[in-house]
Parts: sequence; C-alpha cells; structure tokens
Amino acid sequence: MGLARYRRELGLAAVYAALLAALRIYAPGFFHEQFHGLWVAAAPVLVAAVGMTLVIVAREIDISIGSLFSVCGIVAAVAAKSGWPMPWAAAAAVGAGMVVGAVNGALVAFAGMPSIVVTLASMVILDQGLRWARQGAEVSGLPADFQWLGFSQHGGEWLLMAAALGLLVIFAAGTRWLAAGRAVYAVGCDRESARLAGLRPRRVVFGVFVLMGALAAVAALLNAIRFPHVDASAGRGLELQVIAAVVVGGTAIAGGRGTMLGTLIGVALLVSIAPALTFLHLQAQWERAIQGLIILLAVAVDGLRRGR
Amino acid sequence: MSRRAAVQRWVLLAIVAGEVIIFGRIGTHFFTLANLLQIPRLNVELGLIALAQTAVILSGGLDLSVGSLLGLCAVVFGKLWRDGGLGPSEAAAITLGVGALCGGINALLITRGIPPLIVTLGSFSLFRGIAEGMTGGVDNFTNFPRSFLLLGQGYWGPIPAQVPVLVAAAVFFYLLVHRSALGRALSAIGYSPQGARWAGIAVGRKLAAVYVLSGLCAAAAALIYVARVGQAKADAGMGYELAAITAVVLGGTSIFGGRASVLGTVLGLLAIALLDNGLRLADRSPELAGILKGVLLLAAIGIDWRPRGGAAGRRQRGRAEEPIMRNTQLAVLVIVILAAAAIITGGNFLMYQSFSRQLAAQGRPREAGKRLTIAMMPKSKGNAYFIACQKGAAEAADELGVKLLWDGPMDSDPARQNEIVETWITRGVDVIAVSVENRGGLSTALRKARQCGIKVITWDADADRDARDFFVNQATPQGIGQALMDAAAKSMDGRGDFAIITASLTAANQNEWKKYIEQRLATAYPEIHLVDFQPCDDQQAKAFEQARTILNVHPEVKLIMAICSPAAPGAAEAVKQSGRNDVKVVGLGLPNENKPYVHEGITDAVILWNTMDLGYLTVYAADALARGTLAPGQTSLEAGRLGRMQVRGDDVLLGAPFWLTKSNIDQFDF
Repeated sequence: MGLARYRRELGLAAVYAALLAALRIYAPGFFHEQFHGLWVAAAPVLVAAVGMTLVIVAREIDISIGSLFSVCGIVAAVAAKSGWPMPWAAAAAVGAGMVVGAVNGALVAFAGMPSIVVTLASMVILDQGLRWARQGAEVSGLPADFQWLGFSQHGGEWLLMAAALGLLVIFAAGTRWLAAGRAVYAVGCDRESARLAGLRPRRVVFGVFVLMGALAAVAALLNAIRFPHVDASAGRGLELQVIAAVVVGGTAIAGGRGTMLGTLIGVALLVSIAPALTFLHLQAQWERAIQGLIILLAVAVDGLRRGR
Repeated sequence: MSRRAAVQRWVLLAIVAGEVIIFGRIGTHFFTLANLLQIPRLNVELGLIALAQTAVILSGGLDLSVGSLLGLCAVVFGKLWRDGGLGPSEAAAITLGVGALCGGINALLITRGIPPLIVTLGSFSLFRGIAEGMTGGVDNFTNFPRSFLLLGQGYWGPIPAQVPVLVAAAVFFYLLVHRSALGRALSAIGYSPQGARWAGIAVGRKLAAVYVLSGLCAAAAALIYVARVGQAKADAGMGYELAAITAVVLGGTSIFGGRASVLGTVLGLLAIALLDNGLRLADRSPELAGILKGVLLLAAIGIDWRPRGGAAGRRQRGRAEEPIMRNTQLAVLVIVILAAAAIITGGNFLMYQSFSRQLAAQGRPREAGKRLTIAMMPKSKGNAYFIACQKGAAEAADELGVKLLWDGPMDSDPARQNEIVETWITRGVDVIAVSVENRGGLSTALRKARQCGIKVITWDADADRDARDFFVNQATPQGIGQALMDAAAKSMDGRGDFAIITASLTAANQNEWKKYIEQRLATAYPEIHLVDFQPCDDQQAKAFEQARTILNVHPEVKLIMAICSPAAPGAAEAVKQSGRNDVKVVGLGLPNENKPYVHEGITDAVILWNTMDLGYLTVYAADALARGTLAPGQTSLEAGRLGRMQVRGDDVLLGAPFWLTKSNIDQFDF
C-alpha cells in the first residue's frame, strides 16, 4: 500500500520533472514568462479534464465537450454583450452546459444508449448548430468587465489558475472521501454489482454527465475571459486532447480506476510539449507526433504491466 | 439479423427515399445523372473508410486513427513522388504498404489487450503528427501527373473513375462481413473475445487482420483523395474518422460489436451524402445538414436502443441477437435494388425533361429580365475580413437584383472549396466568384466550370490565369509588401529585429507579400533583421499564442508584423498581456478589431483596402461579365457607388490601399 498505489502518478511526475529540468538547463528563459503563461492557458483544459476523469471513471465517454466548450463561450459572450451583468452571463453559460449534459446523461443513463454515439451526435449537432447560428463569426466589442472579469490582467490570471486548481482539489477530495464520489468508481467497476450494493447506477451516470456539462462550461468561461473577444471555434479538438490527458494520467478507459492527481500531471505534460519544443529550438511541428507517442507509450506501459 | 435491426434498416431506407423525394422537389438539378454520379464521387474516400470501419466495429473495436492516417498517406505519397523521384504507381504501392504498416502498429497494441479506443486515439495524434512533422505543416504537394489525377478526376463515359473502386470495396466488405469465416469470427469476437477464444478462434490474428485492412483502406482513400483534390497536405482527411463512424452506426451496426451490416453502412453513407448535396442544391445552409445528421443519428440509434438499458440489457443483447430473418434481409436487398432502379429511371426521365427544357431555352435569346445567379466563395466564412466582404457583396446584389449564393468552408480548407464548386456546377449558376485558398487544387475545378459555360471570377486571391476570366485585385503584392516594410521600418527607427505572423504557410497572397517584404528589407534596411516567421492558420487565438511565444523566445524583437487580418488583433493582445510597451505591431487588418489597440498605442498602423468594397466590386464585375458588358480588352468598369473602376488586362483593380492610424481609424466601421 502507500506509495505503490500511486505508481502511475509518480512515474508521470518523474517524466514531467525530467522535462522541466531539461528546460531549466537548456532554456532558462522558459521559466520567466512562458511557464506562467502556460498554466494560464492550461487552466481551462484542466477543468474540462476533471469532468472527463469522472466520465471515464464511470465507464462512459463524452466527445461532445469540444463543441460544448465553443457553444458555452459564445453564450456567455452574447449574454454579456446584450447587457447582462457578468454573473448572469456566466450562469447562463453554465446553465447551457448543464442542460446539454443532462440531455446526454438522460439518453445514456435512462434510454440506455451508448455514450460514444450519443455524444458523437450531440457533438455534431452543437458544432453545426453554432456554425449555423454564428456563421463562424467571433463575438467582439464585449463590455469592459468581461476580460479578466474586470480585474487587472495580473489578478485575472491568478484567479483563473486558482479557480482551476480549486476545482481540481474539490473534486479530488470528493472522489476520494464522499460517498457520491466513491459511487462513481463503483458504477465504473461494475454496474450490476453497484446496483446490488444499493447504488442507483443510472442516477450516478446521469449526474456525472451533468457535472461534465457544467465543468465544460466553466472551462469555456475561464478560456473566454482571457481575451477581449470570443472565438466561435475555441473548443475545436479539445475533446480528444482532454481524453488523451486523462488517459495519460492513468485513468482506465474500462472504468473504475483513475485519480485527479494523475489527470493534473497528464494535462501538465501534454500542454508543455509545444512550447518546450520551441524553447529547446526543436521544430514545433513535431508536437502532435510527440503527443501521440506519449499516449501510446503510456498505454503500452499499462498493457505490459497488466500482461505480467 | 434481428428484427430491430431490420426495423432500423427500413427506417433508414425510408429516410433516404424521403430525402430523394424532398430534394428532387426543392433542389436545382438534383435529379440529373451528373449529380447522382457526383454524390458517390465525392464520397468515395469516406466510403472506403466507413466500410473498413464497419468490420472494425463488428469486432467490438473502433479505429479513430483513419482520418489522420489518410493525411499521413497523402503526404507520404507526395513526398515519394516529388522528392523520392518515384513514379506514381510505385509511390502508390509503397503508400499502400505504409497504410498497412500503420494499421499493423495499431493491431500490435490492440492485440496486447489495450482498448482500441485509446490505442487509436494515440495513433490519431501520432499519424497526423508525423504528417505535420514531415511537411512542417506547410509543405504542399501539387502538380501531379495527369495520368495519376485521372484516378480522381477522370470519367469512364459518364461514370467517375473512382466510383467502381467504391463499388468493388462494398462488394468485398459485404462478402467479408456476411459471407466469410473471418466475418463470423469477427462477429464472435465482437460479442465476447473470451468466448471466441474458447471456441477456438485465433482472436489476435483476426483482430490484426481487421486493423491492417483498415489502414490499407485509409491509404487507398488517401490516393483517391490526392487524385481528386490535386494536392497532398498534412491536414487531408481531418474529421473523417467521426464522419465514418456516424455512417456506420447510422447503418445499424452495433457500436459494441458483434452485429454489423455493410448494406446499412452504404445506406447510412447515402443518407448523409444526400443531405449535404441536396441542401446545397436547394440553396439551404449546409450547416443545417450537419444538424440533421446528428438528429438522424440519434433517431436511428433510438429505434435500435429504445427498450434497453444498463449493463443487464447489454448482457442480454448477445442472446437476443439470433441470426434469423433471412427473408427480411433479402426483402431489403430487393427493395434497395428496386429503389435504385426507380431512382435512375426517374433521374433519366427528369434529366431528359430538363434537357429538353434547356434546349428550348437555348433556342431563344436570354431575356433581359432573367435573374442572374452569382455564387461567391470566401476562403473561410467565419473570418471577419470575409464577413465584411459578404456585406458589400449583399449590398451590390440588392442593387443589381441578382441572386447571390454565399458559401464556403468554415475554416480554410481547399478540399471543401473544391466540393462546393463542383456542387455549384451541378446546380447551375451564371457566375462563380472564388477567393482561392490553394491555386493548384482549385484551378482544375474552375476550368471544369468554364467548360460547362459558367463564367469564373477570382477575387482576393487568384487561381491559374487560364482557370478564370477576370481577377478582382484588391492591391498589387508589391505595393502591399513595400508599404508594410516601410511602415515597420518607421516604427522601428530603421534598426532592430522583427518577426512576422502570417496566415498559413501555403497562403498564396501572404507568400507573395513576404517575397516583396524581404526584397524591400534587403535593399533599403540593412540594419533590420527578420528573426521569425510563424503561421497562425487565420485564427486569432493561435496568433495570440504564436506572438506570446515569439516574445519569449526572441526577447529582443521590437516589432511584430501581422500580415493576415486575424493576426493583427491577436498579436496586439499578446503584446498587451506581456506588458512589453517597447514592442509594436503593424500589419494588415480590419478597423473595428484593431481600434482599441491603435488607441492604446500598441498597434502603430494597419494597412487595408476597403473589404466591403471588394465584395461589392466583385459582384458588379460578376454581373457585368455575365451580361457581356465586361469583356477582355476593356479598360474600365462601371461599379455602382464606386463609380468607374480601372481594368488592367484581366485584372479589375480596387484601387490603392490605405493606412489606418490613430488619426483616421474611427472614421471606418467594418
């Protein structure tokens, strides 16, 4: 027991530390501005990854979050632009996220449809719906209190990181110690056993999807407030990036296993690659290949260990 | 085949029939032989991938890497042919080998018991990443030999050259899935790998075969894609994996494996393809097709899954699925054949009708009052630059009383531009006006349009000269390049380092400007150095990240030159957030986006022609061309509120660009 159960997290942390050490030696400039900026950019990804960890632990998957992310950002921006105060605009975005999450969740949990198909469909619908409504145009000319929520840039950046890390800690504690958190693991391990043990698997799955929707919306908000305008395609490709980070972080795609700490390191590792390459004067175009290699290596290690 | 699957098939068939009837009524030229052959032609690549995916999903797996593999194979083929000096056929053979090999890599990990979803998610990134790495994300292979392009652009009589490939693949996969021992084995594995193993099936070997096959199909699709679009770039086939899965699942194949239907996949493909094509021909928004696709998917699955739920349901399903109902299968097959025959007969009849109508129309001269249709395409619809163009174009169309179709890819995507032009040719428009993303790729389609008697204008970015009648030129590249460099030098007091953020490294306009920027730099400003040159894919957020990285990697940079319109505000925001008030931005951009930065003193100046006027002038030129009042040799053109515009050779000139600075930027609103 003890540290052994965190073997995956420790291994990942070692890889990440090695990367940082290499940067420290060969590109000290990385730690001046870039490191800070990197975490500001990673905060929204982290929040979405927290939700995805829950979903995957519950043995489901949600590939609609990239589109949902774009939609929620635009909802907040349009609401703010039409004169809603910022808290209302934020609430509108989170509400939209929860509604979509609830629809996904209801179709998966109560109608018994496979989550990959349901969220594939909602991804297409949201994505195309947004394109139809906005024709790809961004929202600009936002009120002054939109960017950084009216704080200074410095304060806004710290607020962003604090919010993301705070959510991570809350969910890490919740999945570890709350009955509701353990229920997600139980349902992910074996739905039938969980039911016989007195849990209600359908409600758990439904709740997980609603939370995913809400967290995707929060992530979209954290991303949107970094800019004075909101992009209509902000979430493109986010779903696969987030799933990759969660899986690299040690969450089992077959459900029932995974930690928020692992997800944190997974996100940190994957978002560092591109700037690290630029700073080490390697060619940035290999970024995606290296990301893929890391994912494959991580799962290969899993496979070997299980094979033993 | 189970009863529910049969019901689903019937519903799908009804949907396809409904689409045919509806689009036959509201779509222009939907029921023509050319269009009915065009639909499969545009979907051969997707079809190959979806057919292979059917077998993969039958085995209880999923292959997310196929779209990326298509991109990788396209690039490998281009590289072998151009840099490796191989002939197209040798290069194609090796490419197919690479596809099979990459499928083998997936298989290697999957047969070790790692979930296919995760393995192929990793290779999804890996394959696309290698393709991007090999080309730097920018290298673009074009000018393939004519003999190779025939595979994607040629015709056998009326039949497009690649359609027989799809038909052969469909028959092959039908036999494989429904009539072979391998198909049976895959179905058993799909229901229960463990059970299959106990039943004596070599699970690993069968699974490996299926993923290798999937890789092979992706490679074949890549070859056809390259031949059809005429270019090979690392972003080929993006999003194909999800589109293919949609078609497969729509066709009634169970996403959990064990049950598949090749016929269903073909129907699913048809349903999706008809939606895209039909809505476009009916001048409806193509995004509507996307939404309907999602709804269709949910509806189809809903019928299949209604009475089930939870793990218990999943477990029972295996037992419920007994291979009965052969008669239904046969019935469906017969119905499909009959329906296809009916469609073709009906198509021929309607084609004959429309032909005779056309002949009749040709007999008399075009009435003066006939409403012209001008189809106009931007590089990407979401870009603020093109949104401003659209406003101007709509204004001109109103004044002239012409019908304006405005459609284009959502993001810069040359393959999509090709598809839209092909659909417009089928629909029949009077003028096509395009802002060309990739010259080599689109010129072929534009030549085809001209052969069909459609007038072609390019605007904003030009195609090959023989592929269009006129080019509406916003400014000369030399003028822009020199002006940008002069403004940069002025901001930098004639010395120091600067970096450029451009659109994409393949964008023709920007590359042309860069040439003149460098020329000017070399001759006039010896103490200024260009230290970095980065693309932002025409996205503001990407420009922001690029600018921030540039400032960190090259702290000595004094100025960022943003030479595409999304880059200017993106770079300015990055400079602002970095707190560096010694760094300036100059570039090319729209007034509204840049106003705040110009007033804050971050952006010194942006250069621009009036983009609304560019759209306005293009529609006037298109109208004049269609009416014959704009012809070669003319030196001027009357363009509404713009007055008399200059025509030089086959360029219609918009006039000189102007600088927007603190003093004048508030006078503009677009």
